[in-house]
Amino acid sequence: MIEHLDPWPFINGAYGISVLFLAGTALLTWRRLRQAAKRLAQTEAS
Amino acid sequence: MQSMHSAGERTARGNLSGRKQAGWLHYFANPGRFARFARPILPWLGAVSALLVVIGIVWGYAFAPADFQQGNAARIMYVHVPAAWVSMSGYAMLALCSFFSLVWRHPLADIAAEEIGPVGAGFTFICLVSGALWGRPTWGTYWVWDARLTSVLILFFLYLGHIALVRGFESRERGYRAGAILALAGVVNLPIIVFSVQWWNTLHQGNSFSLSGSSIYPSMLYPLLVATLGFYLCFLTLVLARVLAAIMERKTSSLLLANAERDA
Amino acid sequence: MLKPKTRRLYMFSALLLGFGGATALALVGFSSSLTYFLSPRQVAAHAPPAGETFRLGGIVEAGTVQTTQTGESLTTRFDVTDGQAAVPVVYTGVLPDLFGVGQGVVTIGALGPDGAFHADEVLAKHGSTYMPRDVAQSLKNAGKWNPKFGPAPGPDALGSTS
Repeated sequence: MIEHLDPWPFINGAYGISVLFLAGTALLTWRRLRQAAKRLAQTEAS
Repeated sequence: MQSMHSAGERTARGNLSGRKQAGWLHYFANPGRFARFARPILPWLGAVSALLVVIGIVWGYAFAPADFQQGNAARIMYVHVPAAWVSMSGYAMLALCSFFSLVWRHPLADIAAEEIGPVGAGFTFICLVSGALWGRPTWGTYWVWDARLTSVLILFFLYLGHIALVRGFESRERGYRAGAILALAGVVNLPIIVFSVQWWNTLHQGNSFSLSGSSIYPSMLYPLLVATLGFYLCFLTLVLARVLAAIMERKTSSLLLANAERDA
Repeated sequence: MLKPKTRRLYMFSALLLGFGGATALALVGFSSSLTYFLSPRQVAAHAPPAGETFRLGGIVEAGTVQTTQTGESLTTRFDVTDGQAAVPVVYTGVLPDLFGVGQGVVTIGALGPDGAFHADEVLAKHGSTYMPRDVAQSLKNAGKWNPKFGPAPGPDALGSTS
């Protein structure tokens, strides 16, 4: 007897976690960069 | 902006005082100079990598043909293989930075090593999870302890160890030194990962790429190459942005310190 | 007297080489335990004692797959070959999707007193060749199928998914 698994939940899971990771880290990195630039500008102005 | 650069010039000159500068590598090892050079590139790099990742992923998910043997499950290749390559190349970069840090004490190499760690660990995690999700429908199991899977898990732990070691010391210098030694020692794992499928019997299939070409049909190879290029550029963008942020954070804290000393 | 920079360059390069060499030696030494499975040839040469669990890997030989039903459970018998030797395998349970004649498998179990390998688990091993189904079909029709691609597509492949 051979198991016939539907591969789509696995495919969706693999793509889902990859997209979440890429988008999530991009967002976090962008916020950190913006925050760092803002802080530096504030410190230099003071 | 202008004032930030002049401040960078000052701190950078302080870092390099009394050191002879030779060659372009040494030229860009100055964090302030590197930031001025890299800042304008970042948005373009980010846009191109996002575009390539979206094209590669959509192409692989929806348009590439199903495999003759594995059917649709082979689509996981378009995220798994790029993540695997990036995690290994990222580690090679980490080791190179560590070598520069240990031998030439480049401040930029320390910052880069610290910022590569978490990004590389993230890509390795994606590689492991997507691989497990690929293994269940094809092999019949999420995980086996064969040489390939085990050596990639070791790569993940090396990244985690580096992250902890770099941040785990009271003195920053000492953390960088310890992290760099770990990263360099772990470099032996890279050829083990690549050749594990040739040296030992593994459940993981052999390498699809060799010096004589690839064993992937062009209609499946092109989306894979696009996704791979996209993942690589994504990794570079993330690391570059983190290094720039780290340089600015350091400048801010040294300015705050200088202000406090002046006011005292 | 070397400059400190040059001294560090030599020192860390030497350390790296030494550590790499030591690891290479250790890997050569432990090579057998890093191998995930034994091939039928290795089993034929030095069979592990009956009852000792090990992994057996190879290709499912054509014309040897037999399925018998006893009550609820299905028992599959097939030979695992590497082209030089073959080991009969008995397995009761669900086989993975990719299982089929000519397909690579890794089975986990032990040799029984009957000389057959009693598997508790059967995993499918697939090749590193990727191509669309129509391409595989036309390669086979043109007689250009390379066995190293894996089992040829068609009705003879037991596990073909369509």
